[in-house]
Amino acid sequence: MPYILNTKEDVKEMLKAIGASSVEELYSLLPSEIRLDSPLGMPEAKSEQEAKKIVKELSKKNNSIDKFNSFLGAGCYDHYIPAALPFILSRSQFLTAYTPYQAECSQGILQAIYEYQSFLCLLTGMDVSNASLLDGASALSEAILMSLRITRRKKIILAGAIHPEYKETLYTYLSGFDFIIQEIEAGDDGLVDSRALSRAVDEETASCVFSSPNFFGLIENSDELSAIVKSKGSLSIMLTNPLSLAIFKEPRLLGIDIVCGDGQPLGGGLNFGGPSFGFLVAVKDYLRQIPGRIVGKTKDREGNDAYCLTLQTREQHIRREKATSNICSNQSLNAIAAAIYLSLIGKDGLKDLATYSLSNAQYLYQRLKEVRGVKIPYSSRIFNEFVWEVEDAPRIIAELYKKNIIVGYYLGSKLNQCKNSILSCCTEKKSKEEIDVFVNTLGEVLHG
Amino acid sequence: MDRRIVFDKDKKSNKSSYLEKPKVPIESAEDIFSKNLLRSELPLPNLGELDVVRHYLRLAELNFSVDTHFYPLGSCTMKYNPKINEDLAQLEGFTNIHPYQDLQDVQGALELVYNLEQLLSEITGMKKFTFQPSSGAHGELAGMLMIRKFHEVKGNKKTKVIIPDSAHGTNPATATMCGYEIQVIESNFQGLVDIDKLEREVDESVAAIMLTNPNTLGLFEENILTISDMIHRKGGLLYYDGANFNPLLGITKPSLMGFDVVHLNLHKTFSTPHGCGGPGAGVVGVGEVLEDFLPAPLVKKDENKFYFDYSVKHSIGRLRSFHGNFGILVRAYAYVLRLGRDGLLRVAQNSTLSANYIKERLKNYYQVAFSKKCMHEVVFTCQNQKERGASALDIAKRLIDFGIHPPTMYFPLIVKEALMVEPTETESKQTLDYFIQTMIDIDREISLDCEKVKTSPHLAPVKRVDEVRAARFPNLKWEKPGV
Repeated sequence: MPYILNTKEDVKEMLKAIGASSVEELYSLLPSEIRLDSPLGMPEAKSEQEAKKIVKELSKKNNSIDKFNSFLGAGCYDHYIPAALPFILSRSQFLTAYTPYQAECSQGILQAIYEYQSFLCLLTGMDVSNASLLDGASALSEAILMSLRITRRKKIILAGAIHPEYKETLYTYLSGFDFIIQEIEAGDDGLVDSRALSRAVDEETASCVFSSPNFFGLIENSDELSAIVKSKGSLSIMLTNPLSLAIFKEPRLLGIDIVCGDGQPLGGGLNFGGPSFGFLVAVKDYLRQIPGRIVGKTKDREGNDAYCLTLQTREQHIRREKATSNICSNQSLNAIAAAIYLSLIGKDGLKDLATYSLSNAQYLYQRLKEVRGVKIPYSSRIFNEFVWEVEDAPRIIAELYKKNIIVGYYLGSKLNQCKNSILSCCTEKKSKEEIDVFVNTLGEVLHG
Repeated sequence: MDRRIVFDKDKKSNKSSYLEKPKVPIESAEDIFSKNLLRSELPLPNLGELDVVRHYLRLAELNFSVDTHFYPLGSCTMKYNPKINEDLAQLEGFTNIHPYQDLQDVQGALELVYNLEQLLSEITGMKKFTFQPSSGAHGELAGMLMIRKFHEVKGNKKTKVIIPDSAHGTNPATATMCGYEIQVIESNFQGLVDIDKLEREVDESVAAIMLTNPNTLGLFEENILTISDMIHRKGGLLYYDGANFNPLLGITKPSLMGFDVVHLNLHKTFSTPHGCGGPGAGVVGVGEVLEDFLPAPLVKKDENKFYFDYSVKHSIGRLRSFHGNFGILVRAYAYVLRLGRDGLLRVAQNSTLSANYIKERLKNYYQVAFSKKCMHEVVFTCQNQKERGASALDIAKRLIDFGIHPPTMYFPLIVKEALMVEPTETESKQTLDYFIQTMIDIDREISLDCEKVKTSPHLAPVKRVDEVRAARFPNLKWEKPGV
């Protein structure tokens, strides 16, 4: 039997030591009514060779993104991953270890997570990072719950264009709590309307959430927004693409209290959307309200540097119903991957990466602008993606798909007011040729 | 040994060359954005690839892991992670697909999820699964929110959730997040839910009971049918925390025990690697009663095409973005294929056999917390050792010197000086014997040279770590020297 090492003789000896005549006897306390009287209704064991064939066949029924000229982004981005990253990550001592509860035999994991926390703090300018959360959407939900606890207020403002799946998630997460949500739609320029925000923020407001880059790809005037939010003693929660922080100002310096998002752009593959990881960083005042694991640096008995999980009295295994969150397992391996990725690509590499993505996106923006029949509703204050509109968008998308081009994410599938809107993304992986082919083909489809 | 952090290995001028410079005009952010939106410096290190590889491979060497060490961490099911699962999860057709690709380009992914659902439904007796939850606690949240919505829709006034005192901490934390009051039920002298006390607590206000079976003491809740009857009669539902499902594969199904909703930790029972604490998957299955409340979308099949169905009548909504930890699902699917129906049963039987073997061989040295036959794990109480000067913590740390990862310590909370041992079915008798002998040696050592146990570990990369200091003086990130 695969993966079970005991021989018949071993089993016999073990049963003898136990004083049982059969393995079945070990289950004698189970009521007979609940015992299965026949084997599970599923196939017999497959050899490794057969199993591999079956699963491989399934994988072949998918068309990998590399088969297309794709401009898909919308929260999941196709970046180049250095070969050394999966190589390091596949080390058993990272892959097959668990949460580093036992510090003395987990120093490598703990240091890697401490490095991850440090990287996130350097990128965001914040003081404290946890060791990761499940994904960007759940991280945002946890950040909002944090703000409810910190301020003891009940109102949440969702300002501007925020990923619709993140919104759906936070409504689910909050459904057991007493809260009020006020949504402020993006203004005509695609950005948060700061006057509308001023009117909405009041003494009952726990926090205001906005995204920069926002869901339309635009960079918000975050410093202005956070100042408005702060004026009523409320907290600013900013969703961001961590890669954009290679260029844009540290959220801390923009007056943000909690930064969160999905870490997928930091060395994560597409993976059909998961696993990636959620990150959450905050100013140090809110340290005790942060959910999830945190690693700290300390000393061992002889005064040597050492690391361990710390501040665990926030967590469910100690505090139970009074914990800051129910989270236990997180996405450690993906967070460690981010630390390794940032180490590999380095300061200059990361800047290049962000600049190349930005340049490709700007080039596509300018080229699309010249196509008759294409309307670009917002300015070019974008990082790696932006919205454009075209009459009869679903048909156009289908036409280009036939020519092997995935133009991007169709906003009409989630947002009723965006029936003709498409969100197109360029990472550093796009070549000028691919962008040109896209724009030229679109021109042909529109005008023959 | 070089113990520096990666930031102190900065070579400043070293520039990686992973990326091709695009042929489009390279834009300067300063030309597009006002200065107040841009950062003035990016204080990250530049290292060479060999430096990075060596740095992290050295860190890897400092860890115990299932592939390198016996890892009997109770309630975590640290079984062997088959390598074929990794191979298959890395196939280009799985790793390189975007969550928003056209359905016709991801049919294989949906089919895999669909097939896995059929298998898990048969294994648990549940009708329908959601694959969004990405950890056990995430699954609990999904399940308990479904229960909450169920009662809301039915107009039931429910305020309480019953949780045994032996439960995982995630259970009460989850129920609180769902807005419920927690009613803790004490365990009886046998380590099981106290039926008389439960009877007194169960009334119309009870929304649900959250149970782990076998419980965290490794004991099967043999009165499960009485419990389920008691809860159901008052209109409550039963939540199954599947963290301990391993010993019951092919033996029974949660549906037969009366459970209405189940989460399975694919990273425990279904062998996907734990990755230092994730990614995992806490997929949730429900019986008919909760089908209309599942998070949308669900994977369905129409003729020969697979699709996402967003029309779940009373859906609680999303639990996260996209479709869950898909990469983990691939591994779990491969695992179930490999084991098949008889293999899964053998998994259960051998996990129970191994735990009972350890229990019987050690019970004269370490007191067993509750004497009933156990399932896949056994909880010892080290009170006798404590009286002789060494705590459960000391014993746990001493095990590290012998190349054994410590068992779960001080849990469940109702057992003093607890060590919770879950050997799993993938360990050989020889490994169990080595563990048993080591535990016996440590017990003897406590009498002969207690100090050696109390000051352990001696052979680990660091000596006993000062966790109190870490909490008192939080140092949570690297600071640039001189700042």
